[in-house]
Amino acid sequence: MKANFWKLLAVVVVLNMLIGGLAACGTPAPPTAPTEPPAPEATEPPPPEATEPPPAEPVTLRVGTTTIWDAINPATGWESYNIRYWFHDGLIEWAELQTFEPGLAESWEVSDDGLVWTFKVREGLTFHDGTPCTAEDVAWSLNFLMEGMIGPLELYTEGFEEVVALDPTTVQITVSEPTALMLTARLHYAWILPRSVWEGMTYDEIMEFEDPAAVIGTGPYKLVEYVEDEYMIVEANEDYYRGKPAIDRIVIQQYATQDAVVQALLAGDVDLIDGVPTTAVEPLQAAENVEVAIMDSLQLADLAINSHVNGTQPESLNDPAVRLAMEYAIDKEEIIDVAYAGYGVVAASILPPVMGDWVNPDLEPIPFDTDEGNRILDEAGYLDSDSNGIREDADGNPLQYRLYAEDLATEARVLEIISDGLAEIGISAPPTLMDGDALYDLLEPDWDYDMILWGWGWDPDPDFAVYCFTCDSIEAWLSDCGYCKEEYDAIYREQGMTMDKDERRELIWDAQEMLFNDRPYINLHYQPVIEAWRSDRFTFTDFSAGDLLIKWTLVKDPQPVQ
Amino acid sequence: MQRSDYLIRRVFFALATLVVVIGFNFFLFRILPGDPIKSIARSPRLTREAREKLRVDFGLDKPVFFDGERLRKGDVLGAFDTQFTAYVRALLHGNLGISYRSRRDVAEVLAERVWRTVVLVAGAETLALLFGVVLGLVSAWRRGTRLEMTILLWALISWGLPNFFLGIILLLLARGHLPVGGMATPGLKPEHGLAYWADVGRHLILPTLTMAIVYTSSYVLIMRSSVVEVLSEDYILTAKAKGLNTFQILRDHALKNAMLPMVTMVALNLAYTVGGAIQVETVFSWPGIGRLMYDSVQLRDYPILQGTFLLLALSVIVANLLADLLYSVLDPRVKAE
Repeated sequence: MKANFWKLLAVVVVLNMLIGGLAACGTPAPPTAPTEPPAPEATEPPPPEATEPPPAEPVTLRVGTTTIWDAINPATGWESYNIRYWFHDGLIEWAELQTFEPGLAESWEVSDDGLVWTFKVREGLTFHDGTPCTAEDVAWSLNFLMEGMIGPLELYTEGFEEVVALDPTTVQITVSEPTALMLTARLHYAWILPRSVWEGMTYDEIMEFEDPAAVIGTGPYKLVEYVEDEYMIVEANEDYYRGKPAIDRIVIQQYATQDAVVQALLAGDVDLIDGVPTTAVEPLQAAENVEVAIMDSLQLADLAINSHVNGTQPESLNDPAVRLAMEYAIDKEEIIDVAYAGYGVVAASILPPVMGDWVNPDLEPIPFDTDEGNRILDEAGYLDSDSNGIREDADGNPLQYRLYAEDLATEARVLEIISDGLAEIGISAPPTLMDGDALYDLLEPDWDYDMILWGWGWDPDPDFAVYCFTCDSIEAWLSDCGYCKEEYDAIYREQGMTMDKDERRELIWDAQEMLFNDRPYINLHYQPVIEAWRSDRFTFTDFSAGDLLIKWTLVKDPQPVQ
Repeated sequence: MQRSDYLIRRVFFALATLVVVIGFNFFLFRILPGDPIKSIARSPRLTREAREKLRVDFGLDKPVFFDGERLRKGDVLGAFDTQFTAYVRALLHGNLGISYRSRRDVAEVLAERVWRTVVLVAGAETLALLFGVVLGLVSAWRRGTRLEMTILLWALISWGLPNFFLGIILLLLARGHLPVGGMATPGLKPEHGLAYWADVGRHLILPTLTMAIVYTSSYVLIMRSSVVEVLSEDYILTAKAKGLNTFQILRDHALKNAMLPMVTMVALNLAYTVGGAIQVETVFSWPGIGRLMYDSVQLRDYPILQGTFLLLALSVIVANLLADLLYSVLDPRVKAE
């Protein structure tokens, strides 16, 4: 993961990367497909110990990463969500990006008014500590989350009014208004936590709970050992409801730099690495016994334009014509080529193509065309009246903007290209690099910038991406452009309550179109997730999840090389 | 001036420096850009209430230094109920705070990490001193020869090499033979006895070597120039005239006198060594204090950073104090400064 690039929103990125790659399902093999031919996809989880007898030696997968873990406690730790999902299950699981399948719940139904959801919980479920997980435990856990005891998970019970167990296998959730998000943006994230561990703890006790028991769940892997800044060892859960996973042990070793991770893979110290920088792709592809997977993801790189009503941006920047002209002046292809070694796809909508039919098909990328940019500005009346190369608005204020990015090498290159392009259409925007936190500080509450290079990793459900442009998202510290429009918020609210998928899709398309025209973002490109592994140790065939370390890929996919 | 006066003065200065460092340490982390709550609450999906709870938990809801509002209301004591007084009070109790990242006690985290850096730095310094002194002596004695030129050239080049650069080169060269990073193979523990320590040793080779090479060169250069100076003294001529052999002259006359600048250098170097440890530990993923600082900067874990800064400042102050004291032993003139 490009932890630095996405640092400010690292969690969201991580969280989404994991769900992210699921996107590829259903779409034809993407141009950036993995280097190995993908095997035909299994539609249902195959029994893990299917064909061959279990080898005598336990199979160990060694993973190298640079992700800095924080805490193992789900109440305080938010990094490495893909790994956290190894321990925990929800009632629903993502199968692939746009589909979900039964998780701890084997079936469900919803009342006609959309307010009462009834879930049938699997029988015979147990937590890692051996305690049973019945409908009562599920209800207890969801109530526990609703109380806000596990901060980061509280959001996933939003709108829940009451959760009760009707009998040992039935859970009933009552919501305050009909929701389209129950399955795709709520229950997958709302982990079921064991009552045996958490019951009776005060808020303070929970916040300081640094015990391995904090990651007890029902998931495919159990924590064996975690040493901060060094490694984590997990072992397969024999009692996992989908059967014991094919890999017995996973050792995740933490390195401080991406260079070290790449070297560790080349040396064979580890079997799989994540967050491969684009510059390392070629050397890795050339290396023996190393395979590289370049997977479509939910990552968007964008240029956020200050749209906050109290922002300090010049008046001219609020003019959609100026924003459109700027998009014409930015050579997105060149950005991908120069800064990302050619790995990326030019963007139009905020939603990347992996999100399938949620993406508004009418939105086309604005081509690189400085003549058109100049024409638009001429027509809109921004002329260079004093012939200094910079256009002025009607009041004589120059089109001169502050253009910021985090002080990273790739960002510097991107900023340079944008700045040069804007100069071509008479807009002065000298690039300025600064510390990531300083950058973040320019947002709420002062909104003291003009344009910032930014990035996101979205959820597979479009709700989150669309939410990030609502007025509420400013309050929630999620907005980076300060966009706030009543009409847009109405669309957002409506889509969340529209249970008919086709109707909801129309609304999601409307939201994208509104953003495309108002342009709080100039969407630059969609970035792939790159991982590499030792082909002399393991065979990976399923790249549809966009991350080989995602639970549902990991449990069924990799096979050790004999 | 009496020797005890000298000692008291030095100790006083050391303590005064420490007080300044403690104050500076507090404000340094408050003027950094970024709201620490944004770093603690790294999950942007945290609800507003949860964020405010965090702010109270970590005492960040209080004013930083002085509460003028409460003073105006006549609440003099309350005016000093601030982040600064809380910090000083905790420090006096030996409490360095709680890590934002893992909520663990900072002192506990530091105690766990510090010996790893000590092992690395001590090993590298010992090697560097050993080779630095010997090579410095040799090159001074063999002045003008090809041997001296070779040593000098090598010392200048490796002196100019940044730690991390040399580290990466060594890492590339040793890849496949020595582990690329970390302190031990995951899962191995001190309980495993010799296997564990041998494994740690293998992990130690590259970082120690990297640091040792860079520091050796600075010692070579210092040693060489001070020995050259000493060798031009009349008493060396006398020693030669007495018929002492080369080894005796170097050991009894040149070395002892040339050690003075070396003592200063070692003490001063400690500060740089710590800086170097950040780079070397990062390149080799060595989980010591340097790596802790690197990670904590990225995570904006202020309590940990404050703790490490304090520890480092303390070690530099103590090292300088020791150097001063050692000076007074080695060179009687110092007392009369």
